[in-house]
Amino acid sequence: MNRGVQSYSRFLAWLAGSLWLLFASGVLFADSAVGVGTTLGNSLSVSTQNARPLDADWAKAKHTPTGQMFSIPFHVPTAEEIKKTAAGWEYSGRLEFGVVGGDADERNARFRTYQDPDNGAYLNNFSLLMKQPGSGYYFEATGGGAGHDDQYYGVQFGRYNDWKVKLYYNEIPHVFTDRYRTLWSGIGTDALTLLPGLTAGGSGSTAADNAAVAAQALNNPPTELSLKRRQVGIRLDLTLSDAWKGYASYTLEKRKGARPFGAVWGSANNGGLAPVDIPESIDYSVQDLLAGVSHTGELSTFNLRLSASLFQNEIDTLTFQEPYRLSPGAGITTTPAAGAFTQGKLDLSPDNTAYNVRGEYTRSLPNFYNGSFTAVLSGGKWRQDDSLLPYTTIPNLAMANVTLLPGGGWDTTGSLSRKTADAAINTLLSDLTLSLNPTANLNLKFKGRYYEAENSTDPFLLVNPNAVYVDSDAATAGNQTGGLTLNGVTGVWGRVLNDGTGQNVLMGANANPAGNIPIKSVYYSAQQYRLGATAEYRLTKLSNLNASFERETISRENRVRDRTWEDKAKLTYVNRGLGDSTLRVSYEYAQRRGSDYRISTYDDAFSSALVPMPTTTGTNVGTWAVRNNSGIKTFDLADRDQHVANIRVNTMLRENLDASVSFQAREATFPDSDYGRARRSQRSANLDLSYQPSPRQSIYVFYSYQLGKSGQASIAQATNAIAIGQVTALGTVTPENAIEIASAPGSPIYPLARAWTADSEDCNHVFGAGLKQELGKVSLNVDYTYSIGRSGIGYNYTDGGAASAVLAGSGMPDLALDIDYLDASLRYPLTDRLAVRLFYRHQKEHIRDWHYQNLDAIPVVGNPAALPTAVVLDSGPHDFKVGWYGVMMQIEL
Amino acid sequence: MKPARSFTWLRSGCIGGVLFAVGIVPVILSKEPVPVAKPPAPLNGGASYVGEAVCVACHTTQNKQFTHTTHANVFRLNPKNEKEKLSCEACHGPGSNHLKDPAGPANHGALVGFTKEWGTPVAQQTMMCLECHKGGQRMHWPGSAHAANDLSCSDCHNPMARFSDSGLIKKVSINETCITCHQQQRAEFSKRSHMPVLDGKMTCVDCHNPHGSTTASLLKTDSINETCYQCHAEKRGPFLWEHTPVRENCLSCHNAHGSNHDKLLQVARPFLCQECHGNSGFHQSDLYNAGQLVGGGAAPNSRVLARSCQNCHSQIHGSNHPAGARFQR
Repeated sequence: MNRGVQSYSRFLAWLAGSLWLLFASGVLFADSAVGVGTTLGNSLSVSTQNARPLDADWAKAKHTPTGQMFSIPFHVPTAEEIKKTAAGWEYSGRLEFGVVGGDADERNARFRTYQDPDNGAYLNNFSLLMKQPGSGYYFEATGGGAGHDDQYYGVQFGRYNDWKVKLYYNEIPHVFTDRYRTLWSGIGTDALTLLPGLTAGGSGSTAADNAAVAAQALNNPPTELSLKRRQVGIRLDLTLSDAWKGYASYTLEKRKGARPFGAVWGSANNGGLAPVDIPESIDYSVQDLLAGVSHTGELSTFNLRLSASLFQNEIDTLTFQEPYRLSPGAGITTTPAAGAFTQGKLDLSPDNTAYNVRGEYTRSLPNFYNGSFTAVLSGGKWRQDDSLLPYTTIPNLAMANVTLLPGGGWDTTGSLSRKTADAAINTLLSDLTLSLNPTANLNLKFKGRYYEAENSTDPFLLVNPNAVYVDSDAATAGNQTGGLTLNGVTGVWGRVLNDGTGQNVLMGANANPAGNIPIKSVYYSAQQYRLGATAEYRLTKLSNLNASFERETISRENRVRDRTWEDKAKLTYVNRGLGDSTLRVSYEYAQRRGSDYRISTYDDAFSSALVPMPTTTGTNVGTWAVRNNSGIKTFDLADRDQHVANIRVNTMLRENLDASVSFQAREATFPDSDYGRARRSQRSANLDLSYQPSPRQSIYVFYSYQLGKSGQASIAQATNAIAIGQVTALGTVTPENAIEIASAPGSPIYPLARAWTADSEDCNHVFGAGLKQELGKVSLNVDYTYSIGRSGIGYNYTDGGAASAVLAGSGMPDLALDIDYLDASLRYPLTDRLAVRLFYRHQKEHIRDWHYQNLDAIPVVGNPAALPTAVVLDSGPHDFKVGWYGVMMQIEL
Repeated sequence: MKPARSFTWLRSGCIGGVLFAVGIVPVILSKEPVPVAKPPAPLNGGASYVGEAVCVACHTTQNKQFTHTTHANVFRLNPKNEKEKLSCEACHGPGSNHLKDPAGPANHGALVGFTKEWGTPVAQQTMMCLECHKGGQRMHWPGSAHAANDLSCSDCHNPMARFSDSGLIKKVSINETCITCHQQQRAEFSKRSHMPVLDGKMTCVDCHNPHGSTTASLLKTDSINETCYQCHAEKRGPFLWEHTPVRENCLSCHNAHGSNHDKLLQVARPFLCQECHGNSGFHQSDLYNAGQLVGGGAAPNSRVLARSCQNCHSQIHGSNHPAGARFQR
């Protein structure tokens, strides 16, 4: 056995028998170009890191080229202090453990959103670093939060500059609410069963059902709805040669828990009945595989990457019992006639896969204006082919004007046009850049990008191929038994809604047709072209000017606008030589325009494709003519003029005091959008001061301000009836102009007198300060943040619509969030290897959200004798105030 | 499933294939030498390399910190080529002229320095780093947003000491490094709903490649949505029933970093949804108002309570249920 192998074997044997403490070391799993997992830590590790003692010998503060002070590094052992084993392994490490007390057990969801402290014993963090100078082998390990839902562990070993293996395990909690009042058992499973005291399908008395639901909600202790991500991964990096590197990784993430969700009943077009909060069960697993190789040569570099992502939902359907007596949809009969709707079923996120191949190539062109050429080609496919559910779990649903053929029951997959989703999206990216340097001070870049996301899924036809109409044509005397045919498929078109408590079936109740019943799914595809040029001119050694222009064109399928194009021009000026200051200024103007809007974009997806608009004078054609207010321009497609200005100044006020001031103004107007989003703006300002008078002290202060505003308008619909021959302010309605008139602002459907506007404003102030001070042997670290957020919505109206006939005030109550956060840490070394660290954390939040106003006391909203307006079981976010502390021992190797 | 539009695939594939052939085939077939990274051409009129021992004889404090860094481990424990064996002078250049007047400000040109005080042009600093670190994760650095703003590698990195657990960055963490310039995002992460960045569970680099990428906002993937799907694969679908603005861009409704509203939404519901939806069917187009809150004085309306529109349209990212055309199942 040669010496290298002997050494390595001893190392493994030694490691197997030891648990050593670590000097802080890190294991980042992903790199900056691909993948997630770029940190291992939790909310306590951040402050632990900041509390480490500084290097008292460090030279005076130096600055980055921009002018920001470099931090004082942490204390590290000298060469003489570094510990070694007999086999020549150098090692260092630290363990921090202790006791946490105070209010760390607080269960408020706002406190626990992404962290999991608790009172009691706590292994805060540990780290180990070992390396063998003679061979270049090393081993690092880190971890913390042992046993808590935010714990993390990472191991990295290998040979410097040769190969390395990383392994990690990480948990991330996400608490949604701590005030959910469940009506069911089985949270987190595929079936929710009503608790005793509630009757599936209702008791027959809506008042009694409401009372029982309210009693259950108010008397049950609140439940936490949360999920936890657990991630484990392994990655291998190899330096194959000076020119070639390779890597491969595998990660598995499990996500399990429950989150607030909603279920509703009834109806077709006018909203649902009795919406109720239910807990959506989450049991996901995601496997990600990644492999890549890169080549770096004198003239060319090349990256190739293959990735696969496999998402699996272990609970992909959720059956939930419901506590109310619900009626069938119009024209539907059930067996039994009453109380048949005891449960509903949701189809949760389907399993899917995603694959991608990506190649990148850069070639230097030293003899062609000292240029370079870069090309990227990437292709991917997302696929989903889950089995489809039938429309309902309720058997024996019958519909007045429909005869079900054998196998066509609405509770069977025989009622579907296909049995699986068979869905796919293909993506393709080509990105080319040519860079030239015609002079020493001038760089020109020409860039072309093509990106395509094409949904190749066949539209799902909403047709029951095993059903016929009793009467498929009201215009013809006598029953016309048979189906309707479209795209070669014959049957009954439309769908049973919400498990049968509603139906949107074309002529399901009678033979009278409508034109607005969905009969087919619609898929979105887009092709994006981007062409641009950039010129960068170096004015002086320390200043440069950039100018760029770009046109982006997007062609879309199945949106109200086929094509948009956006021209973007940007100027940037950088000067790092304004005395001790660096100035960065940029201004960007973007103008987006596009092709004509299509008022009735999705006509072939509605029953108007089966039954053309009637033309007889006096006929109500509202369901054919109106899809949306044609004055609303959806903001992501609408004409837009956007200005973005940035100013940033970094300055060295003194050698040990630097400041940063930055402003951003963003303004977007939508000149053609009389309705929908009309404008959006944001102003941001930041001030930072950083002071390092000595290696033993550093202080920072910052203030940030942000104000965002947006405005929108709409018209409350007055009626959904408009007739051929009707005289309107926009003209007399004919079959040819019915769609144009009916959809337009000012029509009888959308009278201008019912226009309304709403303006939203989000204002935030964040103030922070911190101190790091070495007092003799003692290290003190304090961080403080105070944040205020206010969001208001004001509205103006003449008549906001029938459903809002009684209007209150001119706006919603403000959304408010005030956060007070203090983290203080005091470290005192007892010996060379033993230290005690005390930390204290104060957190206080005040939150107000009008969405949850008074719902904690009134979970069943509405008329007690009628089906509820809403059953809101999540009482929403609420205030908390905690002070918690830790007494930690630090042991160093 | 309908066949992918083969013409587009074929067209783009051919273009890309030709382009790659221009470069890839010569790379593979040519006798392009495997580069042995040579020491840089002497600076300052023929300076020569003096060796690491000479450097650390004076720079003992720096050496104490440097010893614990990745560069020191590579240069000292397993250098693969002549440049790496130079250690200090691999980054700073040959030091013989520096020795003639180590502290003189006029002699700063004798070495490549990476601080503002030293004054080496950013382009030269970057060139030194890219001699070893070009390609790979930094393939798109030239012309990237950070490069165009005249940032040096040492505006974010400091390989002279172990400030961070990894990545040789200038602050304790990736997030603190980014926030030294991107203070606006620090404020956004402090809002009511936010990514778990300040909670220590995520960094800016989970979504962005600060070294450059093919997208304007330095995303690590080909598009905004693909970036989000890295952690939210359940939203990837595709679904039987798609919500088309969702499929086009997650940021149509959400803010990427933080929001005063629930779920990182841009505007409070129902007003957010009503920026697009005034559909016939009444309830989409009505003005919802404070009177309809519980205790507001008028009949409560579910559209202003709790999750608002998502009380009913809970599958808003897409539904796979045959009846899910309105995202209710």
